[in-house]
Amino acid sequence: MTDWNAMGDAEFRKEAREFFETEYPEDLRHLPHRPKFAEIEHWHRKLHAKGWVAPAWPAEYGGMGLNAAKLLIFYEEQQRWGVNRGRDMGVQMVGPLIIKFGTQAQKDYWLPRILSCEDIWCQGYSEPGAGSDLANLRTRAELDGDDFVINGQKIWTTMAHDATHIFMLVRTDSDAPKKQQGISFLLAPMDQPGVEVRTITTLSGETEFCEVFFDNARTPRENLVGELNKGWTMAKALLSFERIFIGAPNLAQNALGQLESFARGRGAFDDPAFRDRFAQAALDVEDHAALYARFADQLKRGETLGADVSMLKIWVTECFQRITELMIEAAGPDGGTVGPLQVGNVGVDVLASFYKARPTTIYGGSNEIQRNILSKAVLGLPG
Amino acid sequence: MTQTDMESENQEELRLLRESVRTLFDRAGGVGRSRKLRDSGGGWDGEMIRELAEAGVFGVAVPEENGGLGMGLAACGVIAEEVGRVLAPEPVVATVGLSLGLLRRLCPDHDMIGRLIGGDTVLATAWQERGPNGGPAEENCRYADGKLTGNKAWVVGAAEAQGFLVLAKGNTGPVLVMVEAGADGLSVEKLTQADGSTMGELSFAGTPAEEMAGGVAVPDALDEAVNDTAALAAAELVGLSERAFETALEYIKTREQFDKPIGSFQVIQHRAVDLHVTCEVAQAGVREALALMDSESDPKVRARLASRAKARAVTTAKKITRDAIQLHGAVGYTDEFDIGLYLNRALVLSAWLGDDAYHRRLWFDAREGEGAAQ
Repeated sequence: MTDWNAMGDAEFRKEAREFFETEYPEDLRHLPHRPKFAEIEHWHRKLHAKGWVAPAWPAEYGGMGLNAAKLLIFYEEQQRWGVNRGRDMGVQMVGPLIIKFGTQAQKDYWLPRILSCEDIWCQGYSEPGAGSDLANLRTRAELDGDDFVINGQKIWTTMAHDATHIFMLVRTDSDAPKKQQGISFLLAPMDQPGVEVRTITTLSGETEFCEVFFDNARTPRENLVGELNKGWTMAKALLSFERIFIGAPNLAQNALGQLESFARGRGAFDDPAFRDRFAQAALDVEDHAALYARFADQLKRGETLGADVSMLKIWVTECFQRITELMIEAAGPDGGTVGPLQVGNVGVDVLASFYKARPTTIYGGSNEIQRNILSKAVLGLPG
Repeated sequence: MTQTDMESENQEELRLLRESVRTLFDRAGGVGRSRKLRDSGGGWDGEMIRELAEAGVFGVAVPEENGGLGMGLAACGVIAEEVGRVLAPEPVVATVGLSLGLLRRLCPDHDMIGRLIGGDTVLATAWQERGPNGGPAEENCRYADGKLTGNKAWVVGAAEAQGFLVLAKGNTGPVLVMVEAGADGLSVEKLTQADGSTMGELSFAGTPAEEMAGGVAVPDALDEAVNDTAALAAAELVGLSERAFETALEYIKTREQFDKPIGSFQVIQHRAVDLHVTCEVAQAGVREALALMDSESDPKVRARLASRAKARAVTTAKKITRDAIQLHGAVGYTDEFDIGLYLNRALVLSAWLGDDAYHRRLWFDAREGEGAAQ
């Protein structure tokens, strides 16, 4: 088994780059939508054969065992070469949780199935009444013999219509003194009479988000991960490393590149006012990348990231939105046109980029929630 | 030694430098000292110039073989940030970036370098000229037979400097000359700035001058020195912005209305967070630009990096000082509270060597130029 961490950074980057550059299917590069598993199954098989499905998992569980520095390089190259993350909820969310809090039996059963994508996971956290205030969730799970019986509703469940399993936060104690306390982490199969999935059509016309309804759905008792009523703390413990990725520069950088070629093709740079707005956006991206590098260095030195990492997400998502708005501006009278706009022999889908940027300030903890966190945890403001 | 070791050793050096300069300014009275100097008619403190010199501040970017520390722009930026935090009126950035920036490039063996590093002398640098419409114009100042004739504008530190470095047209091309303060035929008109400092408008009428350097090296060195100085002014603005933000943050934590600190209101909190984020982005961006300038030799790329830094720093300082006044409420509009001093200094440093819109234009053009060259 290769010890990737023993490699030099440059050498490892080269290895990752070569694989992503040569092996990833061209027609899937920079995919504008979230694919169903069937669409990317071929690529997943290649990743699986190479043992690269789970870069962050320890090698003993079939992961690459990358340290923080190598992990950053892996993701940077993945993004640079437009490699789709695939259906990685299992790898990113469930796997690490099972590794950290699961029983040996859970590890033995679930982890290989995650790696092979025999099971495809979706995340059941948000509910109609529990978005930013996630701890307000009401979907209940009650023990009935050897099963939990689940009743309630989840929403914004990404790709639930193409998942075999759901990992969810459910209320298992309604009388707990604090609402964060009565929550448990539960795994459940989707293919059963008590589970109904309805897709939600978004502003861009996509159907990647779903509602999931539970009407006496059942899951075996052994699918509880960790202790009963400790799900909230466990789910939060997972987030620390992920928070830098939600503030990574790549989405904004890619959009900026798209904006530049589109604006140049359309002659938008002839307008000095547009040039200035472009320069502002480009410098916003460059200076954000400098701040991102500061946090990445912290990780590489083995330090844990503090709450201040939230500022990356605030800055880069709002910047991403401004860039896509500039694309609409550069499109002029075509700014309302659906589908790719021709510039030379390239088609740029201006509206698709615009729509893609909208939810980034809402998901992963809305930017307003991020500001609340920063104001209290970093600036020490009261109340 | 590995690359990581070298980086961390370098970081440690910069941290020590920052601490020593901060301690020096704090012991002297911090921003209170700067207020006193402003109230007593502007200008700087000669004793502070000597103390800064003893701490090695002026020679930071001068190579070791010419009597400096040879530490580069990133280290100068650390010092400039500290100058900005306490609004020190001493011309640290102008000396390091302009007068020493010119001399170390054009006449590295001249004994004036040692005098500037040692704080014995302060020279102001004069290169821009004012045209008939009030804006910048082509250089027209003439130097011949040891005499200088013409005008210069926007000269920082003109009222207090012991002499001037002046760019002029000589008989065979551009020259850099030195003029003593009070020389024959030299008159200095002072334009009062928002922060109480002055900029000088110089006029020379057959003023005796010493030629320091000549030829095309002179305008090249000037471009480089101005780029360095713009980048260092950016670092000064970053330090200024940070301290202005901290001042506002302390204020909203203590000021009570409706029986609560105003910093407990969400609208205030979110504004404070936005200022904090803006400030952190500026610090990261400007420090990165300075570090990249240290490892870059192409003057065009260095110019683009300097413009990136100055554009970011000006946008940030404008936003933070203005919002900080708003967060202070009515007292922010009084001279009694320090926050106004930060606003006024930000106005002056923003206008000097080009504001954000100006530098975004330069940055865009430089980037287009590099793209076309590839």
